[in-house]
Amino acid sequence: MTLESFISTFIVALLPAFLISLSLYAIRVIKGPSITDMVLAIDCVTYDLCFLMGLLSILFKIGFLMVAALALALWAYVLDVYVAKYLEAREVGD
Amino acid sequence: MVFLFPELNIFEEIALIIGIILTLIGVFCDVIGSIGMVRFPNFFVRLHAATVGTIGGAVYPLFGVTLMSLALNYLGVIRYFIATGAFLTAIAIVLTAPVGSHALARAAHRSKTVPVEPKVCDFLREDERLIEE
Repeated sequence: MTLESFISTFIVALLPAFLISLSLYAIRVIKGPSITDMVLAIDCVTYDLCFLMGLLSILFKIGFLMVAALALALWAYVLDVYVAKYLEAREVGD
Repeated sequence: MVFLFPELNIFEEIALIIGIILTLIGVFCDVIGSIGMVRFPNFFVRLHAATVGTIGGAVYPLFGVTLMSLALNYLGVIRYFIATGAFLTAIAIVLTAPVGSHALARAAHRSKTVPVEPKVCDFLREDERLIEE
């Protein structure tokens, strides 16, 4: 077994775990009792997708996927801070 | 020392094995964090599951992806793209995820959208009442 086929088999064997964890997070996103539960679950989904994009960029040999992962991580932080600001002060602010 | 892969030298092989171990830890923490996110009863308890899912499930495996992609020499120049992007993403997540979850918990407590249901005492609310009076 060469190195490339070993790494490809390893990454493909990890994908069902991602399916399980993303679908369990999606349950909490859909039926979360309050808005903060949904935002927390969306954060976890986003950071999980960053990790998945890192593995897929190794699998498909595309380097620029990690730039999108960096943008996704910062977008989740912006979502957190805006929702917290709106809940606390009832305005988004400038 | 027996080499598992003859096309790698010793440093690349050590980096590859550490990266694979960190990736496995990350997938395990992802599954555990998602199960906790579904089964925990309360928002303030679910913050713990979110921490397991972000720090254990995204930061450690992104460092693992960094080491793993630096070791894979069949990728060519692309491995430097992947390693730099994964390292910067891990640093960004480890700096911003605790700040975001703390801000969210503070807003949920102060705006009274989430009831602090099974509680013994709530010193934060008593302090707010003292400040209002």
